[in-house]
Amino acid sequence: MERNKEFRHYLVGFVLATVLTVIPFTLVATVGGKVALFALILCAILQLIVHLRYFLHLSFKGQQREDLQLVLFTGLILFLMIGGSVWILGDLYNRM
Amino acid sequence: MSFSIRKSLYPGLNLGEGHGDDHLEAETSVFGFWVFMMSDLVTFGMFFAVFATTVPLACCPGPKELFNLGSVALQTAFLLASSLTSGMAILTLKQQHASRSASTKKLIFWLLLTVLLGCGFLYREISDFIAMAAAGGPPTRSGYLSALWSLVGLHGLHVTGGLVWCLVIVAGILVRGVDLRWKLTLLRWAVFWHFLDVVWIAIFSFVFLGGLL
Repeated sequence: MERNKEFRHYLVGFVLATVLTVIPFTLVATVGGKVALFALILCAILQLIVHLRYFLHLSFKGQQREDLQLVLFTGLILFLMIGGSVWILGDLYNRM
Repeated sequence: MSFSIRKSLYPGLNLGEGHGDDHLEAETSVFGFWVFMMSDLVTFGMFFAVFATTVPLACCPGPKELFNLGSVALQTAFLLASSLTSGMAILTLKQQHASRSASTKKLIFWLLLTVLLGCGFLYREISDFIAMAAAGGPPTRSGYLSALWSLVGLHGLHVTGGLVWCLVIVAGILVRGVDLRWKLTLLRWAVFWHFLDVVWIAIFSFVFLGGLL
């Protein structure tokens, strides 16, 4: 029973991830432009969550290890470092 | 130690209660590996930051001359499928409580299938690198290309490492059976392998697809 449930969990994750991969590839190959860019960013974030949720089994409830907090904290660090670098250097670039 | 066995840990990258004390042992070592994985993720993040700052200078040759969308899609498919098969390996491991049992073969099958898919990924990636260099885009050409080669190359190196690691696990299981040591190694390897796919999402979305827009 438990095994079937977990197997389905992986399968759902795989199907969702596949859909979220096919959408941006198709849009970039056909439509392009701003629409594709927004869809691309949205799908990437959603697929990130799908992977963490269905393959790495992170969730908000029933968590015994601090994996989720660890990931969220690292996300914050990454946001600060990447966002900061891009912001400052982008600003410099625009002034040149 | 029975107090924590009672509590059901979340499903997935754990051994499960059927494994008794091994289940608890896995707690600390897998969490420790998560900490390492996060520091690795920060490393990737810095490569992304450097890459992002060079994107406005991406020209001559730029993404449109160098990238092969079909090949990137194929690599993505390989890696995503390998993520699923590695998940199947972990599910098989959770079912297997004895060190040698009927499901050992199944476990090795899933691991070797994962290696095969990973090799498919690497084959396409290396062909793309060679094609890119031939099309006038070696890493020495521009800052953008240096950053691109380092970022994608770093991911490729991780995949190579993951494949070697997986083969070592298969060899270890064949020699010593699925004992505590290999159970823990398998769990850590699975975390590693899933994270490589997570990093690849960012690479195909922002480096390849973003570049082609």
